[in-house]
Amino acid sequence: MNVSMENDRPLRILILALGGEGGGVLMNWVVAAGRRAGYAVQASSVPGVAQRTGATSYYIEVAKANDARAAALALVPMPGRVDVVIASELMETARAMERGFVSPDLTTLITSSSRVYATAEKLAMTDGRYDSDAVADAAQALAKSLHMIDLSALAQDHDTFISATMFGALAGSGALPWSTDDCRRVMGEGRGAEANKSGFDAASKAVVSGGAPPTANLPPSPSPALLLPSDLNLSAVSEELASIAAHGYDLTVDFQDAEYGRLYLSRLQRLMAAADTNDHTARHALTEAARRLALWMAYEDVARVADLKTRPERFRKIADEVGLQPGQVLTVTEYLKPQAEEIAAILPVKFGQWVRRHVSTGGQLPFVGEGRYLKSTGVWGYWMLRTVAVLKRIRRKSLRFQEEQATIAIWLDAMEKALPASTAFAGALAELPRVLKGYSDTQARGQKAFGSIMSQIVLPASAAGRIADAAGDLRIAIAAALSDPEHRKLADALPHPINPTAEARSSEAAYAG
Amino acid sequence: MERSFVKEIESLRLGAGDTFYGEGILAVTKALLQSGVTYVGGYQGAPVSHLIDVMVQAKNDMAELGVHVEPCTNEASAAAMLGASIMYPVRGAVTWKSIVGTNVAADALSNLASPGVTGGALIIIGEDYGEGASVIQERTHSYAMKSALWLMDPRPELTNIVNCVEKSFELSEASNTPVMMELRIRACHLQGSFIAKDNVAPDISSRKLLSEPAAFNYDFLSHPPVTYAHEKRKYDERMPAARDFIVKNSLNELSEGRHEDVGIIVQGGIYNALMRAMTELGLVDVDGNCDLPLLTLNVVYPLVPNQIIDFAKEKKAVLVIEEGQPAYIEHEVASLLMQAGVNVFLSGKDVLPMAGEYTSETLLDAVGKFLRQHQPALGNQLGDQAYAAEIEELRKTATKKLGAPVPPRPPGFCTGCPERPFFAALKLVEQEIGKVHYSADIGCHSFATFPPFGFGNSILGFGMSLASGAGVRSFQKRRPLAVMGDGGFWHNGLLSGVASRLLNDGDGVLVIMKNGYTSATGTQELISSPGSTAKLRAAEQSATSGDQTIEDALMGVGVQWLRTVHTYRVSEMRSTLKEAFNSTFDGLKVIVAEGECQLERQRRIKPIRAKALAAGERVQSTRFGIDEDTCTGDHSCIRLSGCPTLTVKTSTDPLKTDPVAHVTAGCVGCGLCGEVAHAATLCPSFWQADIVSHPSRYERFKATIARIFTGVPAV
Repeated sequence: MNVSMENDRPLRILILALGGEGGGVLMNWVVAAGRRAGYAVQASSVPGVAQRTGATSYYIEVAKANDARAAALALVPMPGRVDVVIASELMETARAMERGFVSPDLTTLITSSSRVYATAEKLAMTDGRYDSDAVADAAQALAKSLHMIDLSALAQDHDTFISATMFGALAGSGALPWSTDDCRRVMGEGRGAEANKSGFDAASKAVVSGGAPPTANLPPSPSPALLLPSDLNLSAVSEELASIAAHGYDLTVDFQDAEYGRLYLSRLQRLMAAADTNDHTARHALTEAARRLALWMAYEDVARVADLKTRPERFRKIADEVGLQPGQVLTVTEYLKPQAEEIAAILPVKFGQWVRRHVSTGGQLPFVGEGRYLKSTGVWGYWMLRTVAVLKRIRRKSLRFQEEQATIAIWLDAMEKALPASTAFAGALAELPRVLKGYSDTQARGQKAFGSIMSQIVLPASAAGRIADAAGDLRIAIAAALSDPEHRKLADALPHPINPTAEARSSEAAYAG
Repeated sequence: MERSFVKEIESLRLGAGDTFYGEGILAVTKALLQSGVTYVGGYQGAPVSHLIDVMVQAKNDMAELGVHVEPCTNEASAAAMLGASIMYPVRGAVTWKSIVGTNVAADALSNLASPGVTGGALIIIGEDYGEGASVIQERTHSYAMKSALWLMDPRPELTNIVNCVEKSFELSEASNTPVMMELRIRACHLQGSFIAKDNVAPDISSRKLLSEPAAFNYDFLSHPPVTYAHEKRKYDERMPAARDFIVKNSLNELSEGRHEDVGIIVQGGIYNALMRAMTELGLVDVDGNCDLPLLTLNVVYPLVPNQIIDFAKEKKAVLVIEEGQPAYIEHEVASLLMQAGVNVFLSGKDVLPMAGEYTSETLLDAVGKFLRQHQPALGNQLGDQAYAAEIEELRKTATKKLGAPVPPRPPGFCTGCPERPFFAALKLVEQEIGKVHYSADIGCHSFATFPPFGFGNSILGFGMSLASGAGVRSFQKRRPLAVMGDGGFWHNGLLSGVASRLLNDGDGVLVIMKNGYTSATGTQELISSPGSTAKLRAAEQSATSGDQTIEDALMGVGVQWLRTVHTYRVSEMRSTLKEAFNSTFDGLKVIVAEGECQLERQRRIKPIRAKALAAGERVQSTRFGIDEDTCTGDHSCIRLSGCPTLTVKTSTDPLKTDPVAHVTAGCVGCGLCGEVAHAATLCPSFWQADIVSHPSRYERFKATIARIFTGVPAV
């Protein structure tokens, strides 16, 4: 039994959920179970329009039936005076703590370790997710007792809603003055109710047994050991670098061929030779460079996309994701809208340049700029894509390949010069290719940012021999380029207006000179 | 309608001695039936939507009792409905969300209050104030004062609320004055219990008809010259009668306390929060009695002067706890005491925050300050400062450990909402032609003010968007845009917006979201809602495309440039918008953005599918997904959507540090992701999966052929 009720105070329960998750259902279950067990129960909520996916809260007070004060149970939770806080989502738990509802003297905190990211977190051009570890840490520090389990996964496993697993966790925590059985009995009958009860039982057991360790947000498990050519001993530098390089090698081989993979490694070796690998800041810059170089070298052109979209494991993954049952038929449709630039990119340099000129002077191309729906599970669609994928064979001669290699060369040169001179600058420069992202407009935007930062910060600093001083500016510019799609912040961070035609290619001349 | 009230309707039938368990607003509904109302009306809006919803769903039961139920088209029509009680001895009740609803109803309310009523008239006010409120923060109290309507603010406990409803009718009849009862958000949603009474069938009703209308009597018209007499009567006769009734029926609650030198006057609605603060301060005994004398006002207007003076006269100091601004009660108490020559220190907003909800935490602080000042012997022993320090410490620890402020999580468009694609299209149009002045409105579409859209230069009220742009056009280079929902259109937009613009030959672009219902308040019906046959015919499709009521109305008043576009056709919507902004046609251009509310559509689809699946019939379901390998983690797609199921996840590729976009299993396959990927030329990562259960023979054959000729095993 809870401390509050032993001390003749009402039991105070705060439920935190998102609109549409069934927080109200949970509240009603708790109310019904309490009444069934002979308690005076009052509850209230502020759903309003928050029901539409926003944060909602429900508040319950439970008193002994003969308690004269039951007539004046509170409708609003009081900070520091809540016995049980139960949340469907980890960031909502953070919100409760921020508002002072979780107290180490009093509060049993039951929270799902799962995350439903808020729009503010998802919008970021990089990683805008709230730090889950910090929430777990704060919960440890602030709760009297903490039950943190993935109630969302449990609900999914049992084909039910999170309200059912929350109810189970609440019952299992022992915070309620009535039995788990009293809880189960108010969950009704029928098929839906059976699933609810099964989720309820699983959560209740999980809480009693101390709770499974949170599974959400763990770093992805490392892939099976990837083999690097034996003449390279990267582990001597750092395990992390070795692992990144192995993945990078794997990716570049997959993108083109073994020779391309070796090119990746030789580029990496060049950078290693320039760095003092005993310096941990240099090692960090190297590792970041190894990561960005690999992703850059394996850029996404139409051949790459078509290839990835027609791999057997991809269709298995999709079938898995949609929960395909035996006997069902699955059709996968791709939303493709090839642009002239993307066609130019995969064509041999001369043809590609012609296409660019043709389009820039108002020329038309067949099959371009129209949205295409391609059934990749159908015979025609599949082989269409496979045909495009085969263009990989002419990729080395393609316009984009040539252009990307040229830009990579510029960046590599700058990296090579920076590593021995300033590891701070090199660390930032290693991250610069991160601004190269996406397709069509997004891709052009990234190239513009890259080119502008290169020509306005990296190259001038390098030419003037004062890169150590420019490390801060470079970091700020990269962060700015990744903070808003309109490049408002980047414009502020650069000394001159953003290059209108952009791209590092325009800086090639500067380099050559 | 979004919620089904089958169980609640049963509890409306409870008889004498039965225990009613349920929500505050439903307890009020039951109390109306126990009071023998003849008619009930109102306009939906949180937190009082459920009153209308349950009455509408219980129409048959109501008809049995002879109670007429009418969901009105706006609050003005609801208020005017109370006109039935002016001349006839019939009880009636209406409800709406305040302050906005009372604003709309104000004209009718003034004209109702002037002649007064014969039968009891009650207005249930959802006082949308404080945490969770969705409207501007103003008080309904002003309306009570200016029109001389009585205002109840019951202590939030169901037995008391129900009693107050019943007494309100009696008070209304005893003083010939309509009564308003304000219920705060949490009181409306309060889960509690009370002992029921039998429902009362009204003496005059749809089952017991009057054979003749009331006789002509000029006294009942709010028209000069009798309006002068009405004003006198309000204060010479009706108010004294009301005060008399309030005292005789002990509507306000007086409780003694040990510390007689001080006392608190509190609005009934705040009582529970105050008691929790007093308990925390150690000023409540085990029997629930407060150590300080309390005057709890279940009736906050009019005040009873003698009651106030008697309560205050032997005391050193009195604290008035009154939420919101202006502090009418405090001011009136001050002038009462001064005129009566009572020498007492009056405290109120000097220790309480000027504005905002009065929670226990706030009240604890205020009572602590009040007592330290006026009863130091007691005040200095209180733990209020220790409590404040404790909570500050909790918050500090949390802030420090969390490292960053928790991002807000405002409400947003539901998964599959047909309004989202419109805003994606608009965002794309603005990328081409530049920003336009956007007059926003009230409704689900106002969620577009939040990220990722951030649309809206002004909000001036329900259905007022077009009207609020009238002055803007004259000094804007680019045409301004006004967006309203079909709810807003019928509430006010057709007259205040469209008709006014046409009268003035005005230019501009209006978009009407035709989703078929007043969705934000719980999908109540409109005059243009699809009928049951249309819904049946639509099956899984949008049922709103067939209904032409809005288009007919627009053409009827003379709109010449009118297009209807299904919202999911993002590219078509984009070109239609561009056409509207660039057109040489000088006049009002209206785009009806059609797409049925997804909540309603899904509710219809689910049983259809379940039935078909069980019968072994072909059922196709669709959902979207993203290829992790080709997603570069830029999240442009999210910035054009904001769908709850379009989210991010850690990439399984250890090289990628930025999370990739991901579609969760909650996807309803609305198709927006693909449309936006096309319209905005985003990226090729989206895929659409169509899953057919119980496929036809031909489909199975086709799948086999595909398997053989593609070598893809899984499909």
